[in-house]
Amino acid sequence: MADSTKIETPARTVETVTFTINGRTATVAKGTTVLQAAHGLGITIPSFCWHPKLKPVGACRMCYVEIEKMPKLQVSCATEVTNGMVVFTESDKVKQGRRAIIEFTLLNHPLDCPTCDKGGECDLQNLTFAHGYDDSRFAFQKLRKIEAGVPSTFDDIKIGPEIVLNRNRCILCYKCVRANKEAFGEYDLGAFERGNHTEINAAPGQQVDNPFSGNLVEICPVGALTNTDWRYKIRVWLTDQKASICPFTSSGTNIQFYVERHKNRIFRTTGRRNDAIDDGWLSDVTRYGYQIIQSPDRLKTPLIKKNGKQVPATWDEALAVAAARLTEIRDKKGCVCVGGLASPSLDNASLYTFNKFMRVAMESNNVDYRTEYRRLPSSLDNPYDIAASQAFTIADIDESDVIVVIGSDLVREHPNEYLRVRKAEQFNRSKVFLLNPLSTKPSDVAALELVHKPGAEEIAISAICLAAMESGWASGVNADDLKSKTGFKKAADAAGACGLDLIEIQAVARAIAEGKKITIIAGELVTRSREREAIGAALCNLNRVFGVDGKGQMAILARHANSVGAARLGLTPDLGAGFAGALKSIWGQYPETPPQNTDAMLAAARKEELDAMILVGVNPVMIYPDREFAREALDKLDFLIACDLFETETTQLADVVLPLAGWAEYRGEYFNLEGRLQSAEPGIAPLNEARPAHQILESLAEQCGSPLFAGMDQRNAEMEKILKVDIRRPWPTGLIEVKPQPQETAPERTVALIMGDDPHHSGYLTEKAPSLVGFCGEAYAELSPELAAKLKVGAGDSVRLEAATGKIIVPVRVSEHIDNDVVFVPRNFMAAPVNSLVSRKQRVDWVKISKVSD
Amino acid sequence: MTEILKAFVNVIIKMPQGFGVTLKYLFRKPVTVQYPKQKIPMTPRYRGRHYLERYDDGTERCVCCGLCAAACPADAIYMEPEETANGERKAKVYEINLLRCIFCGFCEEACPEEAVFLGQDYEFSADNRNSFIWTKDQMLVKHPRKENPLKRIIRRVRRVYGVPTAK
Repeated sequence: MADSTKIETPARTVETVTFTINGRTATVAKGTTVLQAAHGLGITIPSFCWHPKLKPVGACRMCYVEIEKMPKLQVSCATEVTNGMVVFTESDKVKQGRRAIIEFTLLNHPLDCPTCDKGGECDLQNLTFAHGYDDSRFAFQKLRKIEAGVPSTFDDIKIGPEIVLNRNRCILCYKCVRANKEAFGEYDLGAFERGNHTEINAAPGQQVDNPFSGNLVEICPVGALTNTDWRYKIRVWLTDQKASICPFTSSGTNIQFYVERHKNRIFRTTGRRNDAIDDGWLSDVTRYGYQIIQSPDRLKTPLIKKNGKQVPATWDEALAVAAARLTEIRDKKGCVCVGGLASPSLDNASLYTFNKFMRVAMESNNVDYRTEYRRLPSSLDNPYDIAASQAFTIADIDESDVIVVIGSDLVREHPNEYLRVRKAEQFNRSKVFLLNPLSTKPSDVAALELVHKPGAEEIAISAICLAAMESGWASGVNADDLKSKTGFKKAADAAGACGLDLIEIQAVARAIAEGKKITIIAGELVTRSREREAIGAALCNLNRVFGVDGKGQMAILARHANSVGAARLGLTPDLGAGFAGALKSIWGQYPETPPQNTDAMLAAARKEELDAMILVGVNPVMIYPDREFAREALDKLDFLIACDLFETETTQLADVVLPLAGWAEYRGEYFNLEGRLQSAEPGIAPLNEARPAHQILESLAEQCGSPLFAGMDQRNAEMEKILKVDIRRPWPTGLIEVKPQPQETAPERTVALIMGDDPHHSGYLTEKAPSLVGFCGEAYAELSPELAAKLKVGAGDSVRLEAATGKIIVPVRVSEHIDNDVVFVPRNFMAAPVNSLVSRKQRVDWVKISKVSD
Repeated sequence: MTEILKAFVNVIIKMPQGFGVTLKYLFRKPVTVQYPKQKIPMTPRYRGRHYLERYDDGTERCVCCGLCAAACPADAIYMEPEETANGERKAKVYEINLLRCIFCGFCEEACPEEAVFLGQDYEFSADNRNSFIWTKDQMLVKHPRKENPLKRIIRRVRRVYGVPTAK
């Protein structure tokens, strides 16, 4: 339904035109369509096929308007406003035209509204009621499309894991096909046949299972595409809508839950269009991720370990045991012996309470939120954190004419930014460059895709800098300085060292140098790399060489829903003098103990120097890049408290397990990667006995004898003060030396393993969402066709991946999106612990890959 | 004086007139019905407790669209849909709270599938509140059946609400 109230004007035009609509005179930018202009003036024009984020097509003819001096009615969605145009949207001719179009649209539309899931929120229902005839003049049999051999009286066919298609209901607005093509770049849905027999269907032999497929259902104006998730569950008018935020993406996609209050149950998630963030598109993880909240596997009660077995307990018992042991360890062995890890997906209040709990109640500086990264820096004044703290605006991607993506598989990590990059290419003709160790999804819109050797990110970036300098595109940088800082004499050497052609490097350098507005995105492959500081240094140099901060934006994007919040609320162990001083002035005390980050804490625990740990919503055994190391460390702890939604490998090791409430069960505030503060309403009340993290920590602190806050107001006031501390660091003014540590090689292991999220999963919890498991239910090894041919494996075969630390056996997926000797394995599945192949000390995880013959 | 006269006239004329009415009814057919041995037929527009109609082949007409519940002014209807094995929609739960129901008949008017009807049955008293929540199984008409007891009601509903009679 046309719900836009903004006039979206093409960015580059400033020319305006003046026209008259329903007797009102208005001035709009040239290139605006009549429909957009009318919506901007508060005049509603009904339509089916128009969508604010897609190109107009004029398929449904519902948006007819009368324009003076034009002999016939015109479709307003595809007619541009011109000077002196006189438009009528409510004349008798227009009303008659709408009536006729509704009648024609209903020609073959079955009147099965009672069984249709769209009933109550259907554009065709609403517009027929508003503009149609009361009665039908069609007495003949409607055309009915039935799949041969389907034993159904309703002509539904399942075209994807979550999508049911009813072709009879389709009114051929082509919104789904257009969105799939224009916004998502997917071609698994299409229109077939001609004329009266035209039908939308999945491409032959394909399933509609792209990572954005849920949007197709959401934008369908009728019940032709419906969701199996929502199918025959509840009527839309019985639900309340609750505004929330997606906890799986860092951009904070705006979502709303459809909730039945009496049942305390969420029935579905849809988008809440926010043009600054998500454009109204949701990735499937965001859409179906709410299901984890209602999973029957949720932890029901607190558990206490008694005689080596975890037994259910009440909250009072569990908190008493936890508090007693924590205070005992704190008082007897010293504060250094207590450590804590929190999930960066928690809300601000929880993170802040955690910080205060650790630093005030436990008097320990062992606080961290970065659990999945290797070799964390000790302090925050390093090139990586400089690059990561830069300002970034998602909406600016649209207007950039040059976009460079470095070390990020966008569709798996940042789905919203991925769609933005596609949009920029589609609507703004931006040049997209990808610089990754593996071929990634937006390659089809990329001007150039550079696939470098694994573990050579900083060399590739340095090569770009050198190439720019050699060609004279970089100004104000000393050539010798750059050569010595990067460690390469010539761009050709650097290009050769990372396995790229000089001409490719030069093309990127030239585009960045000539670009008027540049966006450079760096992602998780940088953040997770052991050499993130070297890559950060290379990015700083890139900024210096091209002056990116003057004509665009460059940042290493945060990955988690509230990573930015965690950083701003001081969840890193060593905060620096300024931040620590601010905290001391608020709290009146600040621990003097040596700060230990995740690595140091686990290492200390392994040496039995750390005695107790509190884990809130994290599962180090599954996500820390060295499984055995993390498991051993946690196993050796005297006392471990784990708060989580589900039983995980980590909670199995814990002495006290506390059921945590999910983000949909309490009100919370989150910072997205831009630093935009957004709040999420609770969808439902906490299920079972789960409690929000801040509540758990507050009661724990109370039991430990040092209550944290007098009330919520105090907490909020303290948080407000802390958030005033600016943690943004300016770009360095000079060049920084890029000095990666030497890479180790293992001759028998030749394939580089890249670990990440499946496009339909995020983190270790989404495995509990049945819909997401329907898309992808088990881990796989994604191989390039060449590597698959070399190993003589195909789809259906399994491969064994071996590293020094472990081995796993996973089925094979051959993908043209990988074209190196690289294997991609998702880390989302408990059954395939891919982080057991990884070592925190290595930069590239070389694995040996072999076919499993059974 | 006049009051005494008035009282005298009442006793002589008005009282025998009144007794005359009583005497007249003594010789008429009595109105009282010996309920429950004897029952009077309800008027065609009487709205008693609900029935759920079936198709001739025995499948339930109700598809659980929720319109009756939406139309219900007393919020007496609760339903939950489910998907059958062949992908059809039908009611998993269909309950009417007859204590809340005001027997207005909006549900049968709203029903697009001609599934729910208010019958002529008024005998559903019970000794506890839970027994007034009638479930789908209680309200569904029996199948197979010799003759359709709802035939007359369906005709009436169609006539009242102007539904064209099916061919």
